[in-house]
Amino acid sequence: MKKSKINLYLLEFSINALLRAKAKNISILLIFTLLVALLSSIFFISNSIRYELNSVVDTLPEIIIQKVKGGREYDIEIDRVDDIIAINGVKSVIARVWGYYYFANAGVNFSIIGINQYEEQYKSSLERLTNRVDFDTLEANSSMLVGIGVRDIMKRNYYNRYFNFIKPNGKLKKMTIAGVFRDDILLESNDIILMSQRDAREILGISPSMATDIVVKVANPKEVSTIAEKIKFIYPDTRVVTKDDLKISYRNIFDYKSGLFLALFTISLFTFFMIVYDKSSGLNSQEKQEIGVLRAVGWSIDDILKEKFYEAFIISFISYLLGVILALFYVYILNAPLLRYIFEGYSKLKTPFELPFILDIETLAIIFFLSVPIYIGATIIPAWRASSLDVDEVIR
Amino acid sequence: MIILKDIVKEYDNIIALKDINLKIDSGELVILKGVSGSGKSTILSLIAGINRPTLGEVIVDNRRVSKLQDRFASLYRRESIGFIFQKYNLIPNLTVSDNILTPLIPINLREDEVRERLDKVLKEFNILDKRDIVVKNLSGGEQQRVAIARAFINNPKIIIADEPTANLDEVLSMSFIDIVKNLKDNKKIIIIATHDPIFFDLDIVDRLIEIKNGKIL
Repeated sequence: MKKSKINLYLLEFSINALLRAKAKNISILLIFTLLVALLSSIFFISNSIRYELNSVVDTLPEIIIQKVKGGREYDIEIDRVDDIIAINGVKSVIARVWGYYYFANAGVNFSIIGINQYEEQYKSSLERLTNRVDFDTLEANSSMLVGIGVRDIMKRNYYNRYFNFIKPNGKLKKMTIAGVFRDDILLESNDIILMSQRDAREILGISPSMATDIVVKVANPKEVSTIAEKIKFIYPDTRVVTKDDLKISYRNIFDYKSGLFLALFTISLFTFFMIVYDKSSGLNSQEKQEIGVLRAVGWSIDDILKEKFYEAFIISFISYLLGVILALFYVYILNAPLLRYIFEGYSKLKTPFELPFILDIETLAIIFFLSVPIYIGATIIPAWRASSLDVDEVIR
Repeated sequence: MIILKDIVKEYDNIIALKDINLKIDSGELVILKGVSGSGKSTILSLIAGINRPTLGEVIVDNRRVSKLQDRFASLYRRESIGFIFQKYNLIPNLTVSDNILTPLIPINLREDEVRERLDKVLKEFNILDKRDIVVKNLSGGEQQRVAIARAFINNPKIIIADEPTANLDEVLSMSFIDIVKNLKDNKKIIIIATHDPIFFDLDIVDRLIEIKNGKIL
């Protein structure tokens, strides 16, 4: 047999050394795998939500006008649209009819959006939808389109074909499910119900002369703040929210910071664990004795370090692979139960949604460098210390 | 040839060896005699290159062993020294074969050569049937034979044994002496540190050197 460039005997010795301390190494492998899985899950969820967040922010209107009285929001008069459109620089003004509907049986909120077939829509996805779907026909048949999350919740509560809304006057309004609405941004579209504006007004209790809010599109983005000031001047009883304000607001909704905090916390925990492992277990007297024996029979410090490197690499790389696979399964197959809500900062009132699959080499590399080299270092340093000791002293 | 020249060895300001001058020729069997703590084992470890003198030089075949860097000292131990330790210093959870092969691992020899060398020493020291047994399950005598086989796997020029019969009964001690007789026939340098009188009157012994309080008497 030809001599191999890689010292397979050394590799075999390392594997045997791991198997000799089976119980200890299996526990390390399990703990390590769980830590890598936790770390990876945090990165995967964070990436998916960041992707969704960025997509949502891109579709936001430039200005939203809400009527406020005593710090609380009220419906706004539709005829204000005429005054606002007259402001120089305003491209279009859309009065929106929308609101939340609390479905007590499931304990979640649905977002109802009323669509007027003949008006400009505030989002391009809705614009495309009104070209395909006739909301007049939907209205005539008392029908609606629902997001995937809404459909699933309704199904679980035996509403397969229709749903009974309770109107503000206590009477029921039966709406048939005509189809499922799927937007590019699942986080946003998941809890949505689309119906004609008239049906939406009936269910949400909004009178025909009122809207939930008014959305303003501006020709030149640089003029947004000036136009916002002008609107505020004309209607002092309104809150004028710009896209930049909304970005901040969205970030608060998703509680992005808490996600980052958790990631940092986990990294600290992981590093802490490794340091504790290094300090507390380091090398026991039997391991030191073994290193001394190997040195005495002709192993150099380099040989010892290579052997320990193989041991550490085998454990840490297997843990890394298992941890990442476990995290992929947990996040993208199980949809990250528990952990996702910490990141979203969502209350359970939101409908569940599927995290989009976002996996990049950079994230995998970060996880690798946060786990494998740290463990290898923690294993090699005490071995280097032990092999640098006086051999005679160790083996006597 | 081994030369120890003006050797002084101190451990934490305690003098273990003082003014040691010794020359051992190829093929010689030398017994270092002395009570525990006299300095015999320290001389062995200096010759084996696992310890360095505080002063003086250890020269083996014109090589200044006491001045070698770690990498070369390891190479020297691997190629030239077969050390039989008093407590055998085997790795208890490894099999007989794996223990014997430990000195060969860094060399990365061809598989057939490794197998050949292993079979040879297993036969020579009568442990062929024990090759796959985990060392901790062997008797003291069997463990010593494994330790001797390990010392021989690299076919070293110098065999060093530290109190080889300290943990053996009379029968096993005699068996060890038979092994030493065979080694002597192979023209190797053999240095045995012991205070067991069984070695003192052996006709195969070339020199009996007495050590007392770190000095050669």
